[in-house]
Amino acid sequence: MDPRATSGLNLLVFGVSHRTAPVALRERLAVQNDGHPALLARLASSGPVTEAMLLSTCNRVEFYVATSDVEAAEGLLAAALAENASTSAEELEPHLYSRREAEALHHLFRVASSLDSLVLGEPQILGQVKAAYELALSAKTAGPVLGACLPGTFRLARRVRRETGIARHPVSVSSVAVDFARQIFESFENRQVLIVGAGKMADLAARALAGQGARLVVTNRTQARAEELASRIGAKVHPFDDLAGALEQADIVISSTGAQRPILSAELLRKVQKRRRGRLFCVLDIAVPRDVEPGVDIEGLYVADIDDLQKIASHHAQDRREEADRAEVMVEQELGRFLQSFQGRRIGPTITALRARVLGLAKAEAERTLAATPGLGERERKVLFDLAESIAKKILHAPQVALKKGGADPLEGAALVAAAERLFELSPVGSMAEGDEELGRQAGEGGPSEERGRTKAR
Amino acid sequence: MGRAALTLGVVLHLVEIGTNCVQARSPVSSTGDAMSFVAFIAALGYLVASYRYRLATGGAFVVPGVLALVVLARVAPAEPGTLSLGSPLGRLHVFLSTVGVAVFGLAAALAIVYLIEDKRLRQRRFSGTLGKEAPLATLDRLALRCVSVGFPIFTLAILTGALWVARLGAIAGHMSLRPEYLFALATWIAFGVLLLARIGAGWRGRRAAWLTLGGFASALLVLAGYFVRLVT
Repeated sequence: MDPRATSGLNLLVFGVSHRTAPVALRERLAVQNDGHPALLARLASSGPVTEAMLLSTCNRVEFYVATSDVEAAEGLLAAALAENASTSAEELEPHLYSRREAEALHHLFRVASSLDSLVLGEPQILGQVKAAYELALSAKTAGPVLGACLPGTFRLARRVRRETGIARHPVSVSSVAVDFARQIFESFENRQVLIVGAGKMADLAARALAGQGARLVVTNRTQARAEELASRIGAKVHPFDDLAGALEQADIVISSTGAQRPILSAELLRKVQKRRRGRLFCVLDIAVPRDVEPGVDIEGLYVADIDDLQKIASHHAQDRREEADRAEVMVEQELGRFLQSFQGRRIGPTITALRARVLGLAKAEAERTLAATPGLGERERKVLFDLAESIAKKILHAPQVALKKGGADPLEGAALVAAAERLFELSPVGSMAEGDEELGRQAGEGGPSEERGRTKAR
Repeated sequence: MGRAALTLGVVLHLVEIGTNCVQARSPVSSTGDAMSFVAFIAALGYLVASYRYRLATGGAFVVPGVLALVVLARVAPAEPGTLSLGSPLGRLHVFLSTVGVAVFGLAAALAIVYLIEDKRLRQRRFSGTLGKEAPLATLDRLALRCVSVGFPIFTLAILTGALWVARLGAIAGHMSLRPEYLFALATWIAFGVLLLARIGAGWRGRRAAWLTLGGFASALLVLAGYFVRLVT
């Protein structure tokens, strides 16, 4: 048995992501936020599932649930997903994945730290996981299991962001374009940004610059489209006939026309830059074919075309991949730490349960024997009880020692706890239901943990 | 890491200068001391700026320059002409020119970084990631600030120097014109023109950077002149 599958967390992850399902399927599976609570409540009252959280983004639809009956829970979740996407379970089946116990927690850690994202290090996912957890809390479907896992997940994700460069440099062309302009200008406060053409990418970069205080001006061959874009992003319109005038007033130009020949010719730019008296001038040419005549070299003019920006973006992406290796190490360490403290909390109750079980059996057997053989004196009765107890204690000795030692290694501890539960038919120790007040508080809701706490050992 | 080491160096240097001052010895009482003082001012200026701006490349020019000056200062033989520095006017002149040259040195380092960055951005050589260096506009602005701080100081240095030379000439009965005087004047003119052109005609960028470098090279020639005279 894989020791990681037996941590006793009772956590299960089940769903699809960009790694397993095409976007067409993910779109259909995505659950609207307002649909969450009802679905979660239905799942969590179903029997095999005791807690449920749903993470539904454009790149993944995943259930994080607490269950002690994995097969039943998986069936239930698959049905819920299929129903939501109005598709058959058969069609869905090849795209689904499931992670159990420590593997599930590992997955959660990686997802929240943006290590499993389509764009490595993208910043939204942590907020999305938080929102999913809050929804589960408000739907009262988060209990001790999720409550034990999520707060630590958020701490880890923040630490990964802070201590590795996984999100340091932008990897999208529009953010890189802004970065390029930042290599030239100190701030964008009151800088004039001229958008030539009405392309989609220009839109994103312009918004980012406007967010930092830049003024936006749009010019486009078709006046109507210029006005449409301008009203959408809060820009002024400059007549296209006076392109030179617009250029002269601008500090940053974002050009994305569909023109077949470069509309920003070397001659035009030289003339403009002369009139600007050499002030710093940044042209971001994100059009294909290019809008700036190739080979322009003018004092104070800095041009980046789409290839340059993409080259920088891929540099940054490479950088992120290298940093992701460091992040994976942090995730592993955190998982080890988590499991160790988790097992530490679990081993004690397991030993208690084991002792109660074996000593109880011995006592019961002794009583049965006494009942079957009447006429024994007080002394004989005591001898029989002592014998039964001392045999029981001898049997208990080795497993007890092994369990105590197993606390040092999280995975071994987990395996031993699971083995003890199976060999001695102990009901699973719900360590978190069992007086784990600290974690219960972190879950934020006292109620569900009471109702949904699994069978206690004694 | 490197910055922490530089900070330590500057603090130790300050302690040394402070000790000298307590012993009533001016930080610029000899050519060696003066060079060491130039290094101190430049390192201090760079350090302060580097806490506020990204100036990784700048450090690559300032720090070796500072190191070279400190080493030169140590190997410079003790002054035979220290006596002549005894006059308050002479001491003031050496102090002012030392500070002025150090500030110009910082401007020159910024100009070099500007030229490198300008070239990199114009030729679109984006090795590695963006954002390691301060924006061009910042480099330009800081260089201008250095020059406008350094220029008045250097002007006073030239004036006190001229007065001092005149007085020494009067004592000796004849004026000796050294090539250093010429370079000092050239330095003053270069930075003066630069300031005028920047403020008046909006000069900036590459041309301003080259002129800054020219001015500083000329200032270095003045120092070199004193140093050569001292060694020979």
